[in-house]
Amino acid sequence: MFEGIGAKLFSSVVSLSLLLFSSFQGNDPRFTSVTVQKTGSYVYLSGSLHSAFENDFPSIFSSGAQIPVHFALSVRQGSKTLAQRRFTHSVSFDTVTGTYEVYKSGGAQSFQSDKVEEIIAEVARFRFGIPYQPSWGEVNIRIEASLPKVNFRELNKEVDLMVLWKHQKPSTKVVVDLRKAQ
Amino acid sequence: MPRLALHTRIIVLFLLITISGLVLLNMVFQAKQDEIHGAIGRMELSERLRSIRHYNAEDSLKAGEIMREYDAAKALLNISLGNSRVVTSVVLFLVIIASSLIFIVSIIRISKPLRELKHATDQIRQGNYSVHLPETGISEMRELKNSFNVMSRELESTQTKLLLAEKEMIWKDLSRILAHEIKNPLTPIQLVIQRLQERLETDPGSITDILPESVSIITQEIENLRLLAQDFSNYAKASQPARELFNPALLIREIIKSYAQNYDIRLELAEDLQVFFDKTHFYQVITNILQNAIDASLDAKPITIKMYGERSYVVICVQDQGVGIESKDLARIFEPYFSMKTKGTGLGLALVKKLCDANNAIVRVKSKAGEGSEFTLIIEDTAS
Repeated sequence: MFEGIGAKLFSSVVSLSLLLFSSFQGNDPRFTSVTVQKTGSYVYLSGSLHSAFENDFPSIFSSGAQIPVHFALSVRQGSKTLAQRRFTHSVSFDTVTGTYEVYKSGGAQSFQSDKVEEIIAEVARFRFGIPYQPSWGEVNIRIEASLPKVNFRELNKEVDLMVLWKHQKPSTKVVVDLRKAQ
Repeated sequence: MPRLALHTRIIVLFLLITISGLVLLNMVFQAKQDEIHGAIGRMELSERLRSIRHYNAEDSLKAGEIMREYDAAKALLNISLGNSRVVTSVVLFLVIIASSLIFIVSIIRISKPLRELKHATDQIRQGNYSVHLPETGISEMRELKNSFNVMSRELESTQTKLLLAEKEMIWKDLSRILAHEIKNPLTPIQLVIQRLQERLETDPGSITDILPESVSIITQEIENLRLLAQDFSNYAKASQPARELFNPALLIREIIKSYAQNYDIRLELAEDLQVFFDKTHFYQVITNILQNAIDASLDAKPITIKMYGERSYVVICVQDQGVGIESKDLARIFEPYFSMKTKGTGLGLALVKKLCDANNAIVRVKSKAGEGSEFTLIIEDTAS
């Protein structure tokens, strides 16, 4: 609990400091168009991350290093956690051919393009499925995105990509009654 | 807006200069970083290398390595720049917060003991010398509080000594006056008794010739002793006033009746006035002032009592053309046991002052040695 409060306090301090004293733009990611669908024994959460990869990410994606984006999904009922899953979208780039590739662990899909705008749109878009029990009823589905520390092998240097999100992990919560959801 | 203390102004000025300097430095730093960021964005080495045709696999491999290293370095530069901007802003923000907190804490730590000191000084001013300050806070404050405590202890000790000395002096004065006043009537009584004894031894038959006169003297002196005791008693037990509205002219005329046959007392009294005063106290005040005027008036010179209204007050003046009071004695005439007369306890005018204070009235005196005195009473004319 204290860790969560500490992280929130830190991100608030960073936001306020940047607002007051910096011209650093960074990115202000947030989840949009989040919808829940029930198909068979799975419940699917889909949507996209908005304003997450515009500034500085084109050069990061084209660095040649694999850039992962983590999504943590949790299903809770009151204070009880019913299920938790982690998904990763990762972007890689072939320097010689100038081709980007997005790999989504959730559906084991891969997407290739030489246009960074398409790659940004694809990496931001998500659809995650999680198996559910018919007895669950009304639940909170929470999704949170984060960026890891990445090691640039060519330069033997590890950097925290969260700085590009101003140390703010975007998250959103959807309350849904699975007995009624379509 | 309250005026800031000097130390507060100095600290505020210091903070403003420091923070402004840091903010300015940060702005320059951010502007330079913007320039670097823009320059990095414009460097398109990989695109150019990619567009070059490579003639063999080895060239392609080398070009690939260069591009990878270049792209990684460019990405790393971008991230590092972003990181340094975030760190700079956060550090600046924390410095400002910390400075402000230190400033507020310092102000509290400096001003709290000063407020305590001010409160303690007020206590001292009101006569409470037992006030002591806890010797806490910064070292300068501890020293200041210590000095204050030493001062208050010394004041307390001096006050105790003064009170003791004053008490002792009062008792000495009182004893002297009492001894003198009691001795005065005792001497004639003793002389009369000695005379009676002599006559009894030498000519017992004629003792009846001097007996009436002797009894008269003894009775008179006993009456003097009784009056003396009454004076002291009156002063000691001047009661709480029971103020009421009454016409003072009537009471003054009644008082004058017993004096009028022997003294020249002239009245100029407005008849339709009222005063708000304790009636018994009023009687004592007028009697004492009048007696004082009679005692001071030699050669049966006239005494004038005037009374008139002025706004919401009634003013009563008792003027005599007697011996007057030396200017050096004027300030002391209302002090207990202070008397310029050979006879008297020195309590008459002290009682006048005490009763006037108790009835919210004012008593004033004007006098010139050899020309006479004027006592003025200023009394409220309503219960308001």
